[in-house]
Amino acid sequence: MGYTEHGKQCLLPEEALYLLECGSIQLFYKDLPLSVQEAYETLLSQVSMSLLKYQVFSHLKRLGYIVLRFHSSAITTPYERQLNLGSHYQNAKQHHHKRKRSSSPRKPKISEETQECKQPPQKAGRHHEGSSHPVSDGGSVSGEKVKESDPEAAVVETIPSSSDAVQRYRSPSVCIRDHRERSTMASWESQGNTCQSRWDFTTIIFPNMGADCPQTLLSQPDKRFLPKNVTAWVVDATRWRKKLNRKCEKLSHKEREQLEWERRYKSSINEDKEVRQCSTWQEYKALLEKKRQQRKKKYPANLWQQAVTPRVKPDQGLTTADILQQINVLQPSHILDGASQIQDDSRGMKIDFDVYPADTASSFKKNKPGKPFVRICVRSFDEQIPTLRAVKQLAYQSGDVPVVFALVDSGDIAFYSFKEFKLPVDVYP
Amino acid sequence: MIQIHILEGKAFVWNSGDAQRIREEHRIVGTLVGALPRKPRQNMRLGLPLQLLPEEARLLAEKGVATFLKTPTSQPLADDAGQDPSLLEAVAAYQKEQEESYREQVRLAGEQRQALMGTLAEHIAQGRAKKRQQKGEEAEPPSKPADSEPSFVFPREAMMVQLPTERTQRGQEEKVDWRLPSKEWPYSGQPEHEMRYHVFQNLWERGYYITSGSKFGGDFLVYPGDPMRFHAHYIALCVPQDAPLSLCDIISVGRLGTNVKKTVLLCSVDQDGTVAYTSLQWSGMQ
Repeated sequence: MGYTEHGKQCLLPEEALYLLECGSIQLFYKDLPLSVQEAYETLLSQVSMSLLKYQVFSHLKRLGYIVLRFHSSAITTPYERQLNLGSHYQNAKQHHHKRKRSSSPRKPKISEETQECKQPPQKAGRHHEGSSHPVSDGGSVSGEKVKESDPEAAVVETIPSSSDAVQRYRSPSVCIRDHRERSTMASWESQGNTCQSRWDFTTIIFPNMGADCPQTLLSQPDKRFLPKNVTAWVVDATRWRKKLNRKCEKLSHKEREQLEWERRYKSSINEDKEVRQCSTWQEYKALLEKKRQQRKKKYPANLWQQAVTPRVKPDQGLTTADILQQINVLQPSHILDGASQIQDDSRGMKIDFDVYPADTASSFKKNKPGKPFVRICVRSFDEQIPTLRAVKQLAYQSGDVPVVFALVDSGDIAFYSFKEFKLPVDVYP
Repeated sequence: MIQIHILEGKAFVWNSGDAQRIREEHRIVGTLVGALPRKPRQNMRLGLPLQLLPEEARLLAEKGVATFLKTPTSQPLADDAGQDPSLLEAVAAYQKEQEESYREQVRLAGEQRQALMGTLAEHIAQGRAKKRQQKGEEAEPPSKPADSEPSFVFPREAMMVQLPTERTQRGQEEKVDWRLPSKEWPYSGQPEHEMRYHVFQNLWERGYYITSGSKFGGDFLVYPGDPMRFHAHYIALCVPQDAPLSLCDIISVGRLGTNVKKTVLLCSVDQDGTVAYTSLQWSGMQ
């Protein structure tokens, strides 16, 4: 509880009052101790912390929850949310904290990858001096390694030679890159321009262990990267390869159903001989057009040649659920639908508290509180039930944290929340 | 005279004697809302202040056993430039009291320690003799225990302090008239409040204990005795006499009452102030 200002530890009025009520602190005013009654009368005010809010606050505190005042500035704007700025900012901070520490494993996230792509080029450039590209998993390590202190940099130096070895190790193997593989390589290269990945994907080839390869020879790995007590030699993997994947794939009931469904409703376009004869996209499109014309002729004119045509074509291969979806008149609405357009007019309806669960008290940090457990909106029992508009707005403000209404009825506190409910749909396949 | 303090339109009783009298003599329940100092981390049993419903507070005031008070809102925490002489006096008195309390506590703690040492003296002597035996020393005649131990210190930080619940100085409060609607007491004259109050008063005069009924979706819960010892018998619902009631509402309250084994009372107030009760009962047709 409390906060520091100008080197002094301060308490918010509700915190001071709560601690006084618990008998943990003594409050002094003009050198005289304040009684609980006087503290109630002086510390609580309609403006900042009304009596109702304090009653909810102390109720939750007594149960052990961590309760903070809600600040609307802590809420991300829709633009920030769209850009995923929040996570970017937090990751950047995380980076900052981890600088001096060793390379502890971190979960690679999509947002992180994009973030690290924006690393200033001169930093990433340091590693390209060695004209080699240390191994990293999808580029998520690159940013971290760059920033680390000297001992880590030494580690980084050794890694380049390893990828050299990887290249040397791979090159003699008898693998044939097929057309598709090369195309993916090309796409990686084009990305590399923006991403500055230290991987040279054109030179990394994995040995083909598939059954279609006539012979697989694995060359000897570089001794420098092996533990001292391990010896390695050239291996002909052909014999081993035959033992791979000999077992029949066992499918679960669900997978079998899925396969069955696909066989019934889906077909590969490559099975069509006419399609296979096409050599360019243009020919293929012409073929499609021709087929469409043919199909049109096939449909009965009384249905298909009029202004109103059926929504579902007989040969579309739709499931019952798809058809039900197509003929659905009213689409279900989500609580956040259109909430961003609602003007800020909740008439005093505001979120009052962020509540964090009690069992995180040991790991809770005030400067980085994270996502609250719930957010509380304090209301009096004899006020009106909030309108859908107000509920929507609060839900939008709160984002993915549930909003709970605390209703105070002369000292008794009850908690209510609006839950979104999706009606289940029963569809026979 | 029971003092009811008004804060933000709510009625509080801070004096423990008053709270007890309200319950025992006047059969008014209220809700305790403060933390229980001995056990502050729970919500099952709470302590002072006692919060009263507007109807409860008005009943006490109308009977003439209570007065409504409020603190003047004029900047209670403003810093006075010149120190009030009476304030200085009060501070001096407080410090003197603290000093006395400290001396008293030192004396009591010392006595307690001595008593404890007395009961444990034999045990300590045995322990010492055993130690000496282990060291192989000759059993010396036990030295006479010092009757007052100079090493005993009672630190000032360990002193117990009283945290007053009720205000300690009087004389800054203003009276509030409950008959006139004001900022502090907005209820009087409101038709909703008048209706609820008449029902509350009538039920109370019949000897029932009444609490707020929001738990069961009614206006009041009516107990035949103290709510600590009895379940509620009735859920009282206040309805204006001439307002139409929808059948759906009647069915829902009737079903609720049946499910929680209570009788629903529909209470309306006549022009002349008499209260009419209608109870709902679920009767199946066999």
